[in-house]
Amino acid sequence: MSWEPKIVGFLCNWCSYRGADLAGTARMKCSPNVRTIRVMCSGRVEPTFILKAFQLGADGVLVLGCHPGDCHYTEGNYKTLRRMSLLKKMLAQLGVEEERVRLDWVSASEGDHFVSIVNDMTEKVRALGPFRQNSEEEKHG
Amino acid sequence: MIGNIRDLARKWLEDKEVDAIFALREQNGYLAPYLFTNVDKLGSMEISTQYRLSYTCRPSKENILSLMQRKEPSTRIGIVARGCEERALIELAKRSQIDLGKTKIMGIACTQEEAIECKCERPYPDNLVLGQKVEGVSQDENVDALLNKSITERLAFWRYQFSKCIKCYGCRNACPMCFCKDCKMEQGVFTETGWLPPEIPMFLFIRFSHISERCIWCGECEKACPVDIPLLTLFKLLRRDIKDLFDYEAGMDMTQEAPLLTTLDEMPMKEELASGI
Ligand code: SF4
Ligand code: SF4
Ligand code: FES
Repeated sequence: MSWEPKIVGFLCNWCSYRGADLAGTARMKCSPNVRTIRVMCSGRVEPTFILKAFQLGADGVLVLGCHPGDCHYTEGNYKTLRRMSLLKKMLAQLGVEEERVRLDWVSASEGDHFVSIVNDMTEKVRALGPFRQNSEEEKHG
Repeated sequence: MIGNIRDLARKWLEDKEVDAIFALREQNGYLAPYLFTNVDKLGSMEISTQYRLSYTCRPSKENILSLMQRKEPSTRIGIVARGCEERALIELAKRSQIDLGKTKIMGIACTQEEAIECKCERPYPDNLVLGQKVEGVSQDENVDALLNKSITERLAFWRYQFSKCIKCYGCRNACPMCFCKDCKMEQGVFTETGWLPPEIPMFLFIRFSHISERCIWCGECEKACPVDIPLLTLFKLLRRDIKDLFDYEAGMDMTQEAPLLTTLDEMPMKEELASGI
């Protein structure tokens, strides 16, 4: 079987998850590579969650939240923005491509925007190839 | 130098500027942090580049100064601090670990040899009271070498480095900025215990992601590491990134809000970031 990128998506409950839901109910065609995890706010996404996703075999991680100014908890998404910018820099210094992590904003009415982000991310990660973590032998050797 | 420090400590205590002085003391050939309240004991006060007063004590995982301040909130403590220690105190205060209003910093400058030994860029505190400022070490060949590497070379470099890690937690324990009671590096959900080498990208990565914005490049982690992983080099690289991204330098200015602690109102985000990253 050919390799398919695995992407873990952390979607905020109030906007992005509903945006994804809308894409589904409207039967929009969307690449099936994103595994969705619903969080109450993009601000809930601690960098460790993203690292853990990579450790468990993700090739990319997508974080989606409400547009700036729209966060249900006022400023959760601004905090995420800072955290993610820094995390991407950190990963780049350590040799992990920045494009494997993406933060974007999707509102409840933007099903089409959700689809375009997912498709775009899938292709970018496909181009990068699998994220190689420790092979079993390296880990227990 | 130590003579001048002892004299000044005596003066501060006698003039009641502070109730106690926190410094190192030598006893039976060993150095340990000590709270001097009695001027007669000042003869045993020492300084060293090997110990930081900003250390977090184990296993209670509390900063010594913050522990003292919690137990004795009204005591005014004078603290003998080098540049890195002062920076640590500033970052700790920003995170409500200590109360700088209740401390008086006796800043001492490091010598040129000490600065070179620590590869320190800023070997003096802001509150310089004793000693002569010397130039910091601005060039670090390890940093330059990594900056010139491609992303795949970097991955190879760090994979090799991290494969040496024996999960001794020395870097975390030595770091003045690691003070959480519940460390994710100890939790089974995030770190597979009992296996070597640590998984990539977990274990050390957890610390990097939590610490880099507040790292005050004291180099304690690198010195603590028994297998010589160039941890300080990584933090120096990240420090450049943080300066670019948030225009922020840890430990420099008490009034500057730490980027990960602030929200929109307190520190505007760069425009280009607002459209997702
Ligand atoms: S250099 Fe190392 S020990 Fe010092 S603050 Fe930074 S991470 Fe902590
Ligand atoms: S001090 Fe070195 S060997 Fe010990 S946990 Fe830290 S990186 Fe690993
Ligand atoms: S509630 Fe959607 S990002 Fe905070």
